[in-house]
Amino acid sequence: MLDRTKQPPIFPIQNLHLPIPKKHILQNGIPLYEVNIGGTQEITKIEIIFRAGRPKEQKPMVARTTARMLREGTQQFDAAEIAEQLDYYGSTLSSTTNLDTANIVLYSLNKHLEQLLPIVSSIVTKPTFPQSELDTVINNSIQQIKVNETKCDVVAYRTITECIFTPDHPYGYNSSEEGYEALTRQDLINHFQSEYHAGNCTIIISGRTNPTIIQLLDQYFGTTIPRGIYVQPTFPKIATTPQKIKKIIPDSSQTAIRIGLRLFNKQHPDFQGLFVLNTILGGYFGSRLMVNIREEKGYTYNIFSGIDSMVYDGYFTIGTEVGNEYVADTLKEIYKEIDRLRTELVGEEELQMVRNYLLGNMLTMLDGAMNVADIIKSIVTEFLDYSDFTSLEKTINTISAEQLRDLAKQYLVKERMFEVVVGV
Amino acid sequence: MIDFERFELENGLRVLVHQDKSTPMVAVNLLYNVGSKDEDAEKTGFAHLFEHLMFSGSQHIEDFDDPVQMAGGDSNAFTNSDITNFYISLPAANIETAFWLESDRMLGLSFSQKGLDIQRKVVVEEFKETCLNRPYGDVWHHLADLAYKEHPYRWPTIGKVPKHIEDATMDDVKTFFYKYYRPNNAILVVAGDVNVDDIRQLSQKWFGDIPAGATIQRNLPTEPPQVLFQRRINECNVPLDALYMTFHIPERTHPDYYKVDLLSDILANGRSSRLYRRLLKEQKLFTSIDAYITGNVDPGLLIIEGKPTEGVTLEQCEAAIWEELDLLKNEILEADELQKIKNKVESTLVFSEEGILNKAINLAFFEHIGDAELINRESEIYQTITVEDIHSIANQILTKENCSELFYKAKQVEVVVS
Repeated sequence: MLDRTKQPPIFPIQNLHLPIPKKHILQNGIPLYEVNIGGTQEITKIEIIFRAGRPKEQKPMVARTTARMLREGTQQFDAAEIAEQLDYYGSTLSSTTNLDTANIVLYSLNKHLEQLLPIVSSIVTKPTFPQSELDTVINNSIQQIKVNETKCDVVAYRTITECIFTPDHPYGYNSSEEGYEALTRQDLINHFQSEYHAGNCTIIISGRTNPTIIQLLDQYFGTTIPRGIYVQPTFPKIATTPQKIKKIIPDSSQTAIRIGLRLFNKQHPDFQGLFVLNTILGGYFGSRLMVNIREEKGYTYNIFSGIDSMVYDGYFTIGTEVGNEYVADTLKEIYKEIDRLRTELVGEEELQMVRNYLLGNMLTMLDGAMNVADIIKSIVTEFLDYSDFTSLEKTINTISAEQLRDLAKQYLVKERMFEVVVGV
Repeated sequence: MIDFERFELENGLRVLVHQDKSTPMVAVNLLYNVGSKDEDAEKTGFAHLFEHLMFSGSQHIEDFDDPVQMAGGDSNAFTNSDITNFYISLPAANIETAFWLESDRMLGLSFSQKGLDIQRKVVVEEFKETCLNRPYGDVWHHLADLAYKEHPYRWPTIGKVPKHIEDATMDDVKTFFYKYYRPNNAILVVAGDVNVDDIRQLSQKWFGDIPAGATIQRNLPTEPPQVLFQRRINECNVPLDALYMTFHIPERTHPDYYKVDLLSDILANGRSSRLYRRLLKEQKLFTSIDAYITGNVDPGLLIIEGKPTEGVTLEQCEAAIWEELDLLKNEILEADELQKIKNKVESTLVFSEEGILNKAINLAFFEHIGDAELINRESEIYQTITVEDIHSIANQILTKENCSELFYKAKQVEVVVS
């Protein structure tokens, strides 16, 4: 007779192995990482990364707008030709920024790469930033801001990051209508000329690569992107006093809550421990915030906590949207859960579940060349080492309940947290 | 090419197995043939609420998520008008946990009143978060209601109003479960480094003794052809005007479905597409524009949507779109333009075969609409479409009387100066 009350035996996840990519150095010194771990499809993803994000800006929004404008016209091709060719060969190209870097990503079938690379090369070396295209991009971005400013969750997110890092800091300021209107074509040209060089550049290729493709990359990027030297950015000092902020958007049917504080980047010795601690609090479906505030009280559809790390800094946030009548009680319960982590030891079964969940997650991150490429990207751009992957596995396996409690005591300090509430 | 094997248990559960040796994970996907189109018009949103209840404990297992997480896995689900689909991905060695969990909740739920009370609240908050508390969030409520008069696609999966969800009772839950959540109304797909004999044995062991349910006869009303152009103007609290146009299209398994799909790509897939290039970039009438099809099992919709540039009226935008549609109807397109769209489709299909969870979900869906083998024939079907096909389908679909329009007009806020 089948016993349905018992979970079938489960097996521990062991020997997570990060495939080390083959590293090539292109003629101009750009490091090229090649991730090829088999796979059935003749496809590749090429990611060209420039350290040309906000820390390098002379003016707000220059980094993002420069990246967005790369595809809008070059010395060889106008925007329409670029779009036509990229579409004709069935590729997908994105050109975006995160806070620290500009990332130009091409997804393509291998058989079309030879036709596509000249265009991508032109985009990252010879953009012309046509004024009329710039007008369109700025206009559309301003419209997007107008839509976003009516969303409680977006306003709350913008407010808390600005609180934590201050409006004058590259990681703290928010895009604005005035900022976009102040941008000139010359600002983009200056930013491009000073930051899109080989010293700021890394390329990662993943999928079913081969020596011919590597040669093509050297031809199209190793000889065209000018040499340069990476300069470490400097940041303004941050001095803040934690505060509670309430913003009103009339007629909202829900209220957005964000609570957070500044942390540090991934090189900090406590980062990995805090990563595990955060998972327990609000980092997965079985987390304490989710179980308490969604699954036991039904106040929200979603609640999370997260640690965001940039190259030079980091922060912790809790976020949710709740029914307007539940705001006070939700805040009370969030602080209660933080307090529990600071005063009580995490039980053995819960800790084992979090360990297993996170190891399973790491296994998923290793599934497929394009996923592995994302790990490599994080390691390379955040100045980490391959061994950090192994040490994260070790931290997940061995961190004790006492260590987690001590981390909570040290870092999850209510008195240091900003609290933002946006709703009616 | 996605290879698979198929077998059926005596209780009618269909099982598909796809072997992919390159991954350490397995995906276990269970599709139930029930969606919001099976709901009572006065009790909408129920299929989706029910999906939430599937995570609130089953006959022998108090909590669904803890064992998944303990096994290093992740699980989720989605509901749409046609199906409710559940999936677990986990390390291959722990596959049996997925069979244990999925079979127990097919055998019977715990039917806890507390679980129902909580999930009603959670889903009402989801309703607010996704529809009420964001600009244009209620667009599907308007479009579905405008385009469909008879077919139950006329309400959105989340439900017409929160009250329908608040009013759901335990009796509703039990009736729904024993009618639809039966093995003969489900498709199980397992993908990963597995072999069919092991899966046959596991399926028999865990699902074999679950009784079949009565055969379900769906008698959904057929949507009558639209004969009159219609327009709804919705003046409300949105930051910018917006324009939506819908056109009725054939069902998912109709040969013309693929032609309409290419037609929507010609209009708006990629920056070289007609609407993006001409109306957004060249004429600068729009700040965003898109066109897509719903992909429903029963006859669906082609939708065109956009937001005008400041100073441009919705009427100007609408006229510009009709000009583009007329061009497609009057002139046969160049072979090169069609080739471009086909190349895009080829790429999309190749990339969609990345990742076992994707493959498992897609196999289940294609089996649901008739035969999983169709997944491997689609590429060829697209390649046989000609410029004349596009011309004739454009004339058939993109007509005024087949169109419904929705205008969002941003309410002008009066500034009171004292």
